[in-house]
Amino acid sequence: MTGRKVLMDFEVTADSHTLAAYRARGGYRALAKALQTMRPRDVTQEVVDSGIQGRGGAAFPAGRKWQGIDPDDGQPHYLIANADEGEPGTFKDRWVLEFDPHALLESMLLASYALGVRHAFVYIRGEYDRPWRRLDAAVEEAYAEGLFGENILGSGFACDLFVFRGAGAYVCGEASSLLGSIEGTRAYPRNRPPRMTVRGLYQAPTVVNNVETLASVAWIVRNGARAFREIGTEKSPGTRLISVSGHIRKPGVYEVELGYSWAKFLHEDCGGLLCNKALKAVIPGGISSAVLTGKDAKVLTAGEVEDLTLDHEKLRAAGSSLGSGGMIVIAEGTCMVRLLQIMLRFYHHESCGQCTPCREGTGWMHRVIDRIVAGQGRPEDIDTLYHVARFNDGTTICGLGDAAGYAATAMLDNFRDEFEYFIEHRHSKFGGNLECR
Amino acid sequence: MPVIFINGEAVETGEHRTVLQAALANGFYVPHFCWHPELSIVGNCRVCVVEQEGRGVNIACNMPVVDGMRVQTDSEPVRAQRKAMLQFILLNHPVDCGICDKAGECTLQDYHYAYNGEPALSQDPKLHSTKFYPLSDRIILDNERCILCSRCVRFTREVSQSNVLGIEYRGDSALVRPAEDRTLDDDPYSDNVIDICPVGALLSRSFLYQARAWYLEPTPSVCPGCARGCTVQLWHRKPEWRVKGLDPRHNTRILRVTPLENPRVNGPWICNKGRDLGGALERPRAEVAMLKGEPVTTTRAIEAARELIRASGRRVALVSSGGSNEELRAFHSALVANFTTFVKPDHLPQDGEVVEDDLLIRADKNPNTRAARSLFGDSPTEISADTELVLVWGEGADFGAFPRGAKIVLLGSWLAPENGYADVFIPLSIQTERRGHYTNFQGVVSAFEPCCWRPDGVIDAETLFPLLAAPPGSTA
Ligand code: SF4
Ligand code: SF4
Ligand code: SF4
Ligand code: FES
Repeated sequence: MTGRKVLMDFEVTADSHTLAAYRARGGYRALAKALQTMRPRDVTQEVVDSGIQGRGGAAFPAGRKWQGIDPDDGQPHYLIANADEGEPGTFKDRWVLEFDPHALLESMLLASYALGVRHAFVYIRGEYDRPWRRLDAAVEEAYAEGLFGENILGSGFACDLFVFRGAGAYVCGEASSLLGSIEGTRAYPRNRPPRMTVRGLYQAPTVVNNVETLASVAWIVRNGARAFREIGTEKSPGTRLISVSGHIRKPGVYEVELGYSWAKFLHEDCGGLLCNKALKAVIPGGISSAVLTGKDAKVLTAGEVEDLTLDHEKLRAAGSSLGSGGMIVIAEGTCMVRLLQIMLRFYHHESCGQCTPCREGTGWMHRVIDRIVAGQGRPEDIDTLYHVARFNDGTTICGLGDAAGYAATAMLDNFRDEFEYFIEHRHSKFGGNLECR
Repeated sequence: MPVIFINGEAVETGEHRTVLQAALANGFYVPHFCWHPELSIVGNCRVCVVEQEGRGVNIACNMPVVDGMRVQTDSEPVRAQRKAMLQFILLNHPVDCGICDKAGECTLQDYHYAYNGEPALSQDPKLHSTKFYPLSDRIILDNERCILCSRCVRFTREVSQSNVLGIEYRGDSALVRPAEDRTLDDDPYSDNVIDICPVGALLSRSFLYQARAWYLEPTPSVCPGCARGCTVQLWHRKPEWRVKGLDPRHNTRILRVTPLENPRVNGPWICNKGRDLGGALERPRAEVAMLKGEPVTTTRAIEAARELIRASGRRVALVSSGGSNEELRAFHSALVANFTTFVKPDHLPQDGEVVEDDLLIRADKNPNTRAARSLFGDSPTEISADTELVLVWGEGADFGAFPRGAKIVLLGSWLAPENGYADVFIPLSIQTERRGHYTNFQGVVSAFEPCCWRPDGVIDAETLFPLLAAPPGSTA
């Protein structure tokens, strides 16, 4: 039991994703309540008071983002649910889309009401087929019952929703670049300033929120900000959906109350490591969050990871983050050089190629590590990787360049000996293993 | 007006400016590749970095000025980042400056000297890419040299709006490519991308391997291709780099034409027709005066023309809409009393030519119609049957429409069958051989300068008109 629940508080059945089932568990009551009794600003205030942080990766307070938009400024505003869940290791929003799509839709209606949005979008990654079909069906059900369109629930409030399928590039999930994708240009991340709440989709103020963040809004409005604050920790209220993969017995999507013990989560809820291996490292929130090592855990019973709780403040103090909620568990015996090679291949492949350091740097790092893995490493390669990573940090338009650099530095900082060994002996200390045997 | 401090110096800037604009406008150079004053900001080269007090290093082209902010354009962290960005750019760049047309004008080369100047950090082989990709009959693209600043792409989207260019693929495989089934031939302004490309990736086929940039010097001029009168520079060999033994005309050839930025007329752009001015000026010249097709000295021809003018009754003059302001005035003061005068277009739109658009190109294909009309009116040409003499200045007159028996005095610069048909033909100098001004359709007056020798026997119209007005027998 991973603590109290916000999203997974019902039993998944063959039809629990339908409108009827959603209504039966209290769905769309928050919407009715808001439209009848709350002004738009009250809805935003509720979200501000809940203290919910974005669940997409950056953990920016969602309410503060909403406050960036003045619902009465007479301009068009847009709301986009970012369902382009492309971060490697991350598949938690998929659960919402597949099993609770109406929670997202109701929440988007609430957000649209709060922000003065007439047209809202869901940007869903093309690879998500069943989630898309479920979502699409839910949208149709909602339209059929007058939950979208003109004069919703007789309140005079009007809102339309468009589901937009991405074509499958990682960088399209970057909040500013998916605007380009919707607008029909190349999905290049955009420079800030201006912020998207100033100039976003079609140059209008726009809020882009992660699916899980948005989906929690209905709960918050239904139960009140105070109830939400009672869950989680003081600085990290609420819960997180966490998708666990890697060398773990029970991979899957879990809802975890923030502040939950990591050791308990791994060893009890997720059933412990595969093959009874010891923990070597954990990538806590998708490969773009810095790696945490479990090397102390091998020596001590309570190591770095084992002592931590799952919340933003603890992880930040440990130099990482909950990121996108995609937890990758790595057992002892795994070759970190090979693992970094795979990560760098990914960044190289997915770099949009717009800005100099990421365009050239990701390829550079990838080729260097390829050479090391091919047994052609040179001692100066480690410095080169650091050099490239350093100048990808904070010099790029979006976070992809940074993340590629973090991946390299985190691995080198923590497992430098493996890299040195590989370069010197021209083979891996661990036989190049990535599977746990 | 916000005041910001650049390298400690207080600088007043306009509202809604960026730090890059403020710096450049006040004499602080900040290197940049992707930023261009006429294009949108993309901030992708990451070279224009400055250090803002308290906020670290960031790009200046997308940094709005805020009153009181302090930036350093050349601090240690700034230099380090610029150097790193150049290392990234040069990682897969072929550095084939020795055979690159842009050498001498390449900002990458300049910045490398200024900020990096060290051997490559990577010993690994460079990635190769397409070396000669044809973008049109006029332009080829060297993808290895392209630094993906996207200026060319933005140009075809935002300025010429042909939307021909885009970027394909991702990461370090990204390539500038034309849209499917399109070429830059679809864009009458395409050659501007050659100028704005900061490196030698976009190459002009006509200029390719013709000369190193440092052999050349520009002469300011005005494109005579239409009533816009774009300000241009005509590039030709510097006298000290002329090749001995080469036909002197070859040594003074116009090797390329580029825009000379003029905010009142053409901004920083010109159309492709203007680029072809050099070729147009190489049409075979008429250099010998003629009487009914028989070569004579220019003095003799002038004398003959004078006689004809004196001797004939009804006289009509067709004035060139390509004459300079000075020439038109000279005609007006010397000869207007002797003639019924009409302004004639020397050139009409050709087949396949863009007639007119919203950017620069004008339907009137003559450079000085406005000035000519202001002196000679704009009534349509009428040559009555009793006309005894027609004086034709310039091109484009229909000789077949002249009354039978009327004498013809033709003043022109190019070899043409009409030259031999006229009773008197006098060869005139061309624009590149003289100095003058045109008045464009908006009334903006622009100057052009000479850059070629005037062949012997050829006379400036400005000199000729007073001579034609002088009484017969006076010395030419
Ligand atoms: S950091 Fe990489 S992915 Fe992001 S904009 Fe730059 S090139 Fe594109
Ligand atoms: S071809 Fe030139 S202008 Fe176009 S993107 Fe490449 S470097 Fe920039
Ligand atoms: S727009 Fe007219 S004046 Fe300008 S370059 Fe083209 S032809 Fe010459
Ligand atoms: S000029 Fe600013 S990033 Fe290129």
